[in-house]
Amino acid sequence: MSGVFRRFFSGLMRLRRGPWEMLASILIALGVFMMMQPFWMVAYTWSFLVTLTGTVMFIITSHFPE
Amino acid sequence: MTRKMADRLAEATPPGIARKIGGLSDRSLAWLFIAPTIFLLLAINIFPLIWTIRLSFTNYRVNRVNADVKWVGLRNYERILTDPDIWQTMQVTAHFLFWTLFFQVLLGFALAWLINRKFRGNDLWTTLIVLPMMLSPAVVGNFWKFLYQPQIGLFNYMVSFVSGVDPASFSMIGSIDLAPWAIVIVDTWMWTPFVMLICLAGLRSIPDYIYEAAEIDRASKWRQFWTITVPMVLPFLMLAVLFRGIENFKMFDLVVQLTGGGPGSATEVTSINLKREAFEKWRTGYASAYAVILFVTIFGLASIYVKALNRVKER
Amino acid sequence: MSGHSITEPTRRQKWIAAVLVIAYTVIILIPLLWIISTGFKSPSDAISYPPKVIFTPSLEGYVNLFTTQTRITPDMEATLPPPETWYERLVREKGMVIAGPSRYGQRFLNSVIIGFGSTFLSVFLGTLAAYAFSRFRVPIKDDLLFFILSTRMMPPIAVAIPIFLMYRQLGLSDTHLGMILLYTAVNLSLSVWLLKGFIDEIPREYEEAALIDGYTRFQAFRKVVLPQAAAGIASTAIFCLIFAWNEYAFAVLLTSGEAQTAPPFIPTIIGVGGQDWPAVAAGATLFLLPVMIFTIMLRKHLLRGITFGAVRK
Repeated sequence: MSGVFRRFFSGLMRLRRGPWEMLASILIALGVFMMMQPFWMVAYTWSFLVTLTGTVMFIITSHFPE
Repeated sequence: MTRKMADRLAEATPPGIARKIGGLSDRSLAWLFIAPTIFLLLAINIFPLIWTIRLSFTNYRVNRVNADVKWVGLRNYERILTDPDIWQTMQVTAHFLFWTLFFQVLLGFALAWLINRKFRGNDLWTTLIVLPMMLSPAVVGNFWKFLYQPQIGLFNYMVSFVSGVDPASFSMIGSIDLAPWAIVIVDTWMWTPFVMLICLAGLRSIPDYIYEAAEIDRASKWRQFWTITVPMVLPFLMLAVLFRGIENFKMFDLVVQLTGGGPGSATEVTSINLKREAFEKWRTGYASAYAVILFVTIFGLASIYVKALNRVKER
Repeated sequence: MSGHSITEPTRRQKWIAAVLVIAYTVIILIPLLWIISTGFKSPSDAISYPPKVIFTPSLEGYVNLFTTQTRITPDMEATLPPPETWYERLVREKGMVIAGPSRYGQRFLNSVIIGFGSTFLSVFLGTLAAYAFSRFRVPIKDDLLFFILSTRMMPPIAVAIPIFLMYRQLGLSDTHLGMILLYTAVNLSLSVWLLKGFIDEIPREYEEAALIDGYTRFQAFRKVVLPQAAAGIASTAIFCLIFAWNEYAFAVLLTSGEAQTAPPFIPTIIGVGGQDWPAVAAGATLFLLPVMIFTIMLRKHLLRGITFGAVRK
C-alpha cells in the first residue's frame, strides 16, 4: 500500500499526468458532492469553487506527460 | 439501403469541386474536412457559451430591453450559491440521481448477468428490453402521467392488485412524498437497459480461460464472482454510472412532462428550476450565472467520463 | 469442443435465467402495450375502472387526433346531409361535426423535415471530420475531440438561454433552418466519434493501394473509404435521426408554431372535458413506432451508438 502512495507522490512531484488527473478528479467529485449534500449550507456555497478548481486543474494537467 | 447512402454522399459533391480539392495536400485537406464541423460548433456552442459567461456578470433581462444593463460583478453567483431554495433544488436532484443510479446499477447488472447465462433466445429478449430507452422521454413522461392517475391509472391498479391498497387512495404524482419516487420509477424503467447493455459488454469481455484457471484452483463460484467478475466489469460500470449521472444531473424532458416539477417544488430538479428563472421569470443575467455553474460541473464530470471511456477502449 | 465446458452454465441455471429475464421483459413492456392499446379504446373505455384489457376496438382516438371538431345541436344535425365517410359518421354519433384537420399532421411533418435535415447535415459533416481525425495528423487532436464530445454533454436548458437570444437577433427562432442547425450541432459530436471508430477499423492499406494506383487522396476517400464505411454511416444516421426525433427541451423553448415538432405538441392534445387520452395515446403510438422499428434494425450497433463508440462488442 505504501508503495502506491510513494508512487503517487513522486508522480505529483515530477508533474506526471496520472496522479494529477486523479487529484483533479477527486476535487471535481468532492465539489459535486458538496453541491448536492443536504447537511451543510456552507459546503454548498463553496462547492462551485472546488469544482471549478478541479475542472481547470484537469484541463491543465491532462497535458502533462504520461 | 446502406450502400446507396454512401454513393449519394459521394455524388453530392460536385465533380468540379472534387477535382479542385483532389489535388490538395493532406494537411490542407485535413483542415478542409474539419473546418465546417469546428465552425458550426463554435457558432452554436462556444459563441453562446462566451455570451452566457458575459451575461452572468450583468443584471440583463430579456423582457426589459430598454432598462440599462448594469455590470454586477460576482453578485449573481453569490446570490445563487447562498440561496437555500436552489440548495433545496440540488437536493431534489441528488435524491433523483442517487436512487435512479442505485436501482439501475442493481437491476442492470443483475439482468446482464442473467442474460450472460446464454440461454436460447437471449438476443430477442435483449432487443425487447432495450426498447424503452430509445423512446422520446417527453412522450414517455406524458404517458406515464396517465398510468399514474389515481383510480383509472394502470400503475395504481396494479399496486392495489398486488398489495390490496385502494387505488384511489394515493396519487404518485400528486403527493409530495410519492412524487420524487414516481420520477425515479419512470427513469429506472427507461434507463435500466442502458446499464444492462454496458455491463453485458463488460461480462462478455472477460475471457473464459480466467474462469477455467480459477476452477482449477478450486476457487468457489462466490469467490470467482467477487475476484474476477466484479473487478473486470467495474470499468464498464463506471462508464455507465458516469454517463447516467451526467444525463440525470441535467434531466429535464421526462420530469417536466411527468410532474412539471410539482407538487410544490417536490420534483423541481435543477434544469426545471433554471428554466423557470430563465424563461418564466426572465432573469437572464441571474439564470446565465446559474447556467455557468451547471456548465462547469458537467464539464468536470465529462472530463472524468472521457478518461473512463479511454480506459475501457484500451481493453 | 466436445463435452461440457466448466464455464458453461448448467441447464438448470439457464432455465432460471431465462424465466427471470422473460418476466422482467414482460413487466416493462406492459406500459408500452398499454399506450398502443389505449389508442384503440373509446374515451370511456380508456378511463374505466378497473382498467379494461378486453375492449371493443375503436378508431375514435385516431380520428380525434387528426381532426378538430365542433358540437352541434340536434336541430342543426337534422339539416345536415348524411355523413359520407366512416370517420364523419363516427364523429356525428357523438353529436359533433368535423371542423377541419388538427395540427398533428403538420407537427409530425416538422419532425420529419427537421429530423432528416439535421441527420443528413450531421452525418455529412461528421464523415468528413471523422476521416480527417482518423487518417491525418491534426494538431491538438485530443483536445479537439474532447471539445467536440463535451458539447454533447451540456444541459440543453443552459445552452438554450444564449441560443434563444442569438436566434431572436438572427430571425432564426421558430424556423426549420434554425432547428436543423441546432440539432446538427448537437448531433455532430456523436457522429464524429462514432464514425471515427468505424473509419479506424477500415485498414489503411486499401487507400494506400488506391493512392499508388494514381488516385488522389480525395478520390481514395470517395471511392474506397466511403463504400467501406457505408454500414457505419447508416447506423450513425439512424442514431442521429432518433435523437433529433426525440428531442424536447430545445423544441419546447425555441419553437411555438411554424417549426414546432411533435414531442412538445403531443402533451398539448386536449379533448372536450379533460385530456383526451385515446388521442394522446394514438399520437404517441404513431410517433414512437418508427423508433421501435429502427431500434430493432440497429440492435447490432446499439451498444456502440450509446457509448460514443467506446464499446464495440
